[in-house]
Amino acid sequence: MKHWFRLHGLALSRTLGALLRHPVATLLHLAVIGLVASLPLGLYLLLTSVGGVAAKMPVEPQLTVFLKPEADVGALRAQLAKDARLAQTRFVPKDDALKAMESAIGSGDLLAGLAENPLPDAFVLTARRDVPAAELTRLEQNLLTDPGVDTVQLDSAWAARLEKAIALGRHALQVVVLLLAVALVLVTGNAIRMQILTRREEIEVAKLIGATDSFIRRPFHYSAAIQGVLGGLAGCGIAAGAIAWLNPAVGELAAAYGQPFLLALPGPVELAVVCATTMLLCLLGAWFAVWRHLRRYR
Amino acid sequence: MIQFQQVTKRYPGGLDALKGLSMDIQPGELVFLAGHSGAGKSTLLKLIAGIEKPTSGTVLVNGQNLARASRGSLPYVRRHFGLIFQDHKILFDRPVYDNVKLPLDIIGFDGREVKRRVLAALDKVGLSGKEKLNPIALSGGEQQRLCIARAVVHRPSILLADEPTANLDRDYAHDILELFKSFHQVGVTLVISAHDETLMADYGRRILRLKNGQFTA
Ligand SMILES: Nc1ncnc2c1ncn2[C@@H]1O[C@H](COP(=O)(O)OP(=O)(O)OP(=O)(O)O)[C@@H](O)[C@H]1O
Ligand SMILES: [Mg+2]
Repeated sequence: MKHWFRLHGLALSRTLGALLRHPVATLLHLAVIGLVASLPLGLYLLLTSVGGVAAKMPVEPQLTVFLKPEADVGALRAQLAKDARLAQTRFVPKDDALKAMESAIGSGDLLAGLAENPLPDAFVLTARRDVPAAELTRLEQNLLTDPGVDTVQLDSAWAARLEKAIALGRHALQVVVLLLAVALVLVTGNAIRMQILTRREEIEVAKLIGATDSFIRRPFHYSAAIQGVLGGLAGCGIAAGAIAWLNPAVGELAAAYGQPFLLALPGPVELAVVCATTMLLCLLGAWFAVWRHLRRYR
Repeated sequence: MIQFQQVTKRYPGGLDALKGLSMDIQPGELVFLAGHSGAGKSTLLKLIAGIEKPTSGTVLVNGQNLARASRGSLPYVRRHFGLIFQDHKILFDRPVYDNVKLPLDIIGFDGREVKRRVLAALDKVGLSGKEKLNPIALSGGEQQRLCIARAVVHRPSILLADEPTANLDRDYAHDILELFKSFHQVGVTLVISAHDETLMADYGRRILRLKNGQFTA
């Protein structure tokens, strides 16, 4: 056991020494890992921030159902009252609509010259807040099949669009994570390959005089793991910096829409997940590079 | 201790470097290996250390067939050997001390023991006080001594030296051979190759003579 710790301690101290001896190469590699990690992290934070605020928004999707003159208002009202998707049903007779319009415009004489009120009767429906956008569309389709219904206007189309945009963003995030994960493995594999090349002679001698494969592997695995964690930290730092820089402008834009909103900074959970992920990906790249090199020795 | 039975070695795409060799080296024996350039001396030593596998025949070391050793166990078998390479394989990116230390790191000796053994090995070969130098600052003979120190620092039971006296003047070569004799005296089995047979004659030991991959009388 003591022996095992000694071998690992030796590899670790040698690795740290090697990383510090080539500060430029180390920093460059950390910057690459950091940039690669910051992109999906930033995207993720953007999506969760926007998704969070969209969920909190008082979106009470409204549908306005305009009726034909021959509509059976009583039957329709009874049918709507039974619909579990609706929170509130309000009938707006065409005379009320006219009055509202007149007061809005500030003229009491809109109908001068017209024989009768051209506005239709209407129902203003408020859907329950937990009804998904797809269900609202289905409700709209149902209503249109009623012979007494002329048109239906869905006032929450924008909310559905936002929901779809966020879903699209989530898919894009998955693709980005996958591509960048592969990139990170390749970049680290290549960096470790270069480290191996500069130490080729040492590896050859060590193998000849009785080094095990793990003795050779160990310092490279440590190197990759350490750089993975530090690179992950750098990625969180880059993402946090970018968000902090963007947030004042985001806040102003949100205020213009009457919504207090800021992009979230990475928290401890994000930090841990990012560092663990970059560490594992870097280890994978190193493992592959060392495996390829060791294959040539008997 | 080291047994060859009808050993043939053919390199890929090449001629037979060794042809049907049989021999037996006893524990604690000091054997010289002589032969012209290209006779197969290095190949023979590599077969003993399991660096190369025989094309046919068997090589036994302590009764074990290295050609059959698994990838996992081979490193541990290798630690019984001290190897002095014809091309030295000195690492010029680190001081003399760290070169000699490498076998001990591989085995996993603890720090104090490492220091004690490295300094003792350097003292033995006459490089005391040069441990901090870069090997590039050593003369050819001193580099050879460095190789010997690295080969013996973990106290192997078999020492294989490939042309340790090459490029050295006669007196210096004799000093090196005296050094090997002192290892022989403490029971180490030694195989030393050289193309200059006149050096070996003074020692009255068994000489294996190779010519085009075969033993001659
Ligand atoms: N890795 C190799 N691949 C192909 N042929 C090889 C290889 N190593 C050695 N040979 C050939 O095997 C033969 C014996 O080589 P070896 O190195 O054993 O000779 P040697 O007696 O050590 O010579 P020298 O005194 O020049 O070191 C030579 O003909 C050489 O060309
Ligand atoms: Mg040779």
